[in-house]
Amino acid sequence: MMIGYELKLATPLAAFFVLFFVAPLLILLYVSLQADPGMTRMTAAQFGRFLLDPFSLGVLLRTLFLGVQVTLLCLLLGFPLAWCYLRGPAWLQPVLILVVLLPLLTSVVVRTFAWIVILGRQGIVNAALMSLGLIDTPLRLLYTEGGVVVALAQVQMPLMVLPLITALSRINRSLDDASAALGAGAWRGFWRVTVPLSLPGIIAGCMLTYAAAITAFITQSLVGGGQMLFMPMYIYQQATALQNWPFAAAISIIFLAAVLAVISVFKALGRLSQARANA
Amino acid sequence: MSPTRRSLMTTALTLSAMHLFPRLSQAQARMLVFATFTGSWEEAHKAVLVPAFRKATGAEMVLDPMLSVDQIAKVKASLANPPIDVMLHDPGPALVAIDQGLVEPYPVAESKHYADLISEAQVATGPAPFFQVVGLTYNPEKVKTPPTSWADLWKPEFKGRVGITNLNSTLGTGFLVEIARMHGGSEANVDAGFQAIKDLKPNIAAVAANPGQLATLYQQGQVEIGPGNFNAIQILKARGVPVEFVTPKEGAIAFKTTIHIVKNSPNKELAFKLIEASISPEVQAALMESPYLIVPTNSKVKMGGEIAKVLASSVDELKKKFVFQDWVTINKQRAGWIDRFNREIA
Repeated sequence: MMIGYELKLATPLAAFFVLFFVAPLLILLYVSLQADPGMTRMTAAQFGRFLLDPFSLGVLLRTLFLGVQVTLLCLLLGFPLAWCYLRGPAWLQPVLILVVLLPLLTSVVVRTFAWIVILGRQGIVNAALMSLGLIDTPLRLLYTEGGVVVALAQVQMPLMVLPLITALSRINRSLDDASAALGAGAWRGFWRVTVPLSLPGIIAGCMLTYAAAITAFITQSLVGGGQMLFMPMYIYQQATALQNWPFAAAISIIFLAAVLAVISVFKALGRLSQARANA
Repeated sequence: MSPTRRSLMTTALTLSAMHLFPRLSQAQARMLVFATFTGSWEEAHKAVLVPAFRKATGAEMVLDPMLSVDQIAKVKASLANPPIDVMLHDPGPALVAIDQGLVEPYPVAESKHYADLISEAQVATGPAPFFQVVGLTYNPEKVKTPPTSWADLWKPEFKGRVGITNLNSTLGTGFLVEIARMHGGSEANVDAGFQAIKDLKPNIAAVAANPGQLATLYQQGQVEIGPGNFNAIQILKARGVPVEFVTPKEGAIAFKTTIHIVKNSPNKELAFKLIEASISPEVQAALMESPYLIVPTNSKVKMGGEIAKVLASSVDELKKKFVFQDWVTINKQRAGWIDRFNREIA
């Protein structure tokens, strides 16, 4: 039986996952159910402490919303980029792929520092606006939510563009001609043919970007600063500055559950729209 | 004696072997491991403390630099057979480590140098080999009149130019306590400090996530004035960044950084000898020189150079100008303060 072989081939990976992924996750769950950092008694109080606290829930919602903003911006900028890559002139392709891949080849710390240089008080943006006489005092761009969204969108862009390129390149070009021959205009053809067919790529790109954006501790804390609190920093604060592992573990589990919920919404949306497109 | 390539390789190989074969190290009694801090502290200890230890004992040792919180996590994770013999801590983490039973009491009676330490540095759970000092930092190219008081940060002319850190760090917490004191509060009551930080908001250009980030903000011209760590500022200065450090007239905030023998360490005797070296006048005098500029705690060390110029030239002056905060009281409330900072300032 083929299936038997396939399963056997996957055992090393499965064993690896059980040892280094499932086991730590179970330990995390165990720690989250402890009453105090000394781990003396079991309780679900840590979860209650988070879920009944409007401030903590605010941090969770702000983090999830941050992901939505970054994902939308990535999609908005990434789709045309992927489109140009496939439909543009041949000489443009290597240039574009280099532009897309370059961020992946540099460390995320370096990419983030570049944004600090760009958005800073004496950064490129402020210097340009001041020399044009548009502003007198530097604008506050760094340490704002807008700054974090823009920086994250650039940092995570490859995760959106690469699946889009794959999905778009699988679409048969003659479908364009077919839809045109059947009387659809360019826009109608794009919306009714290209977008539905590229949905798997859009969904994959969105999920990757979303998951990466909301957990991007380095970019969030460097561009957001110590004043803006998102879930990764909240967990770090509780775990390291305060050594309160049970609460940190509980926050992590809640965050994990919330992310899984958002991801399943993405998936459901994808299935729904695909079903509509097929109908 | 500078580290040769061979000694580095040996260290690297030993460390990796210790991680791969923990049993091996158990059986063979491993080298002494000292978890110092990263960055300039590591460089200073590698250049001065490690050679002094070698000379005193003839034994080899390993520096494994990491943050205080990581030291605690690692020791806690295998308390029966800890991977570290000597820990170095800021006051907050030191109390956590002591509370959780991770440190041995220091054998004070056997110590040759303990009695010579400045009274603030004499801690039975582990003495302080140096002080860290927080004062006012400013960019002399942008701030023409040097500040003299913490209160200067609230001046309208510094609108959008002040940099502080949040309470995750010792620096941020110490600053909050100090300005609370300035407004009539204390370690036990920092309400006035929180109000003062709220009032400071128009002037705040950045709340850095950690002291390292705060230091780089001066380099980028993002902030021009604020509280800063004396040693971090010296490193920036050495790189040519326009920054100056002044002791405010209220006094500089001083933290004792303490050094501890780890509970159940298999190298207790060597650990004791390393700590002895770290509090000896010879090592402290060498560490006080440029480029390290580490503030000594042994009263036999004669203060000189930049430290005498900027901070204090004698033990008496140091005691007068340094403000030591009560971290036992601070630590009890720190979780609540971090929470409150998240809610009210962020």
